[in-house]
Amino acid sequence: MAGGAPNWLHVETEDESPRLTTLSSCMALSDVQCDGYIRLLAADISLEDEAHEPSATLKVFRGLKLKQEQPLPGIPTAIESLYIDETEPKTPVIAVAIAESVLFYRHLKPYFKYTIPALDSDDLELEVWRKLPVVKADTHDALLESLKGIDHAKLSRKSQRLLQLTEAERAPFINTHRDSPVGRVGSIVIMCCIKRVSSDANPPSHLVLATDTGHIFILEPQGFNLVYQGRTCSYQTAVPSLLSVQGTYETDFCIVVATRNGGVYLLRKSNSEGQEIFKLSTPLTGLLLLPIDQTILASTMDNRYQCYSKRGKLLYQVQLDSLPVCILPLTMTHLGITLVAVALKGGAVKFFLQRYQVDEFVLEETVDAMLYGRMGMEDHVLTLVTQSGQMIVKILRRVSRFEPKAEALAGRRLGASDQKLTDGSTILDKPKKSSIFVEQAAREKQQAKATYGSFQVELWRLRHTAARATIDAINSSESTISGDLTHAPVKLSAEVCGSGPAFRLYLTVQNLSTFKMASNLMILLHADRRHYTIQQTLARLPSVLPGIPLRVDFEVVALLDPLDKLPPASLTLDNSLIRVMLMKAGQAKPLIAAAVTMPQSEAAF
Amino acid sequence: MGMLHNLADLIKIKKDKMTILVLGLNNSGKSTIVNHFKKPGDQSAIMVPTVGFMVEQFYSMAGVSIKAIDMSGATRYRNLWEHQFKNCQGIIYVIDSSDRMRFVVVKDELDLVLQHPHLCNRTVPILFYGNKSDAEDSLSSVKIAAALSLENIKEKPWHICSSNAISGEGLGEGVQWLVQQMRFAMLSNKDASKAKSKHSK
Repeated sequence: MAGGAPNWLHVETEDESPRLTTLSSCMALSDVQCDGYIRLLAADISLEDEAHEPSATLKVFRGLKLKQEQPLPGIPTAIESLYIDETEPKTPVIAVAIAESVLFYRHLKPYFKYTIPALDSDDLELEVWRKLPVVKADTHDALLESLKGIDHAKLSRKSQRLLQLTEAERAPFINTHRDSPVGRVGSIVIMCCIKRVSSDANPPSHLVLATDTGHIFILEPQGFNLVYQGRTCSYQTAVPSLLSVQGTYETDFCIVVATRNGGVYLLRKSNSEGQEIFKLSTPLTGLLLLPIDQTILASTMDNRYQCYSKRGKLLYQVQLDSLPVCILPLTMTHLGITLVAVALKGGAVKFFLQRYQVDEFVLEETVDAMLYGRMGMEDHVLTLVTQSGQMIVKILRRVSRFEPKAEALAGRRLGASDQKLTDGSTILDKPKKSSIFVEQAAREKQQAKATYGSFQVELWRLRHTAARATIDAINSSESTISGDLTHAPVKLSAEVCGSGPAFRLYLTVQNLSTFKMASNLMILLHADRRHYTIQQTLARLPSVLPGIPLRVDFEVVALLDPLDKLPPASLTLDNSLIRVMLMKAGQAKPLIAAAVTMPQSEAAF
Repeated sequence: MGMLHNLADLIKIKKDKMTILVLGLNNSGKSTIVNHFKKPGDQSAIMVPTVGFMVEQFYSMAGVSIKAIDMSGATRYRNLWEHQFKNCQGIIYVIDSSDRMRFVVVKDELDLVLQHPHLCNRTVPILFYGNKSDAEDSLSSVKIAAALSLENIKEKPWHICSSNAISGEGLGEGVQWLVQQMRFAMLSNKDASKAKSKHSK
């Protein structure tokens, strides 16, 4: 970024900027007047006007000024500007996709209308429509019931409408439509351009059409023939929602289609049935096939911006702050890079160079549609249309350079930022399943009972060994003077005061050495929980100096039966003991382990 | 004595060559303007986008020899502009007054020119042509000056006039001003250098 200055110059308009309700697909840049000045074409769709049916107008802007408008016969799904032949002077043709047809305009005058081929409809439906006009009205219900048996998506449009009507409306509807064909025609949901041959200036192009029946067509707009027919996938319900195409028609091309269910399919020139590349659980909001590195970018409803290879491997993903509304590739030939602009809900527009965010700006409201390319006399113009219909034009500064920030790159090298970006949903490095693993898994499945049993036996054996070692350690150090020669010798003596049930246990620790200090000592008391309660069982001792005895005391309460106020029956003279252990920190074996015999407790009253 | 010197200077300058840089975005009419100053016999009828730059020599009124460097305005050639900044005495900045969308680019490029180290500390007069004044939605020179906030240029003499390069309307007035300003600038430069040399003595 150049010294903090914005990379995008905002085009100011002194008079009110034009209002526009449109989609990214319904905007195009075209030299409609053949004067070298590229104008902006956009379909302004008015849905709010309640008095009228939803309608659309094709508007032509010179710069930010509305110059021409023309009503369209329906709501368009996409607008494209393309050259259909190589005759000079080159005249662009505007293709407008409305429902099942593509309207072609030349010099903004209607030129041709192409309708995609109809599909065969169900035999049962044909039969029903043959019967409906001739039978009595009271048998209609039965016929309509049989229509409902067919998958709704497979019905023709007039049958779908008929099923929605009330009984009173039915008869006149049947009468007016009795003779119309029962063909089923899909609507065009996406339209985009593919160049026929390599990319010289303004080459003739073909149109790629995707219908809601899952078909992908390529239309050759000179003779209006379908030169390629494909299907998104084998089943009917995969309705394309997004499409991106790269390559040239004559050599090779790839079409990436995303369906409403979140599946992404790849079609090639040689392969007219889509192969599923990956499937996402959340719907996609944008899909791009990048030209140079041939990676697939997808923005999803769970605020992620993901990049996949053509084989479906997730290469990287970026967590976005809010919902991505639309994404757009910005090819900067003078810099040799392709940026991706992502418009987020709330008004932020971020620019990514691969996984790195290289620029951003924030507008007042959410951007609905974006368009980038040569407009007017300027090469790099970004047009944004916000939710309320405001049109904003930004021009790339000549001196702008886009480079990932140094810290992002550094973080990448450490491998840390990547982990953070995706917080917890990183691609796990799963080891390949070896044959030993597979065999072991099978064995565990077959002999589950024996496996569990032998594990339990081993566990108990381990516990037994541990307990025996503990007892050995305690018994070996059973004396009142520590025998470890490496430390200062310590003497422990005990005294029990009280008559019960509360006793006080006084312990005296004495350092027998003449010069060594005994430090890091601890006293641990251990008693049968059923007989005695000790509030504090562990005491860390201060350093014990030679010759000065240290006295510590503990409270020991003998447990009494709450009913007869007598000690429990299991308490005998032999086991009325409290073990006192003197430990040194960092040493597993106690220095001294002594047993203090407790006197018989008197009954409490 | 001083007066005599001044007179001599004036005569000398008349013999001097002045270099003018013609800048502006592509399709603003730079080459057309330069074409208009050429002798009637040398003028070309068809204008094509300039590649790189063109150097034209012509004599203004009062016999001043002017070398005009007509720079290309295309985006990819705009980085060539700065190489000529050191050797120019005046700048003509041509603006397409009908292309309102690109005023922001015009301003950005102008700022880059004015901030360039070879120009920012020198008194180089700048003449703005609000060209294509005949176009239907062209702006007046006052409005262009406001849109580009030319009033912020404090350290350089500037002048704006609307022009029509095809008919030649308004071109002469501008160049007259520019030549006059260049003379002033040269005189003041010489005075300054003389004063300096005296001080050093």
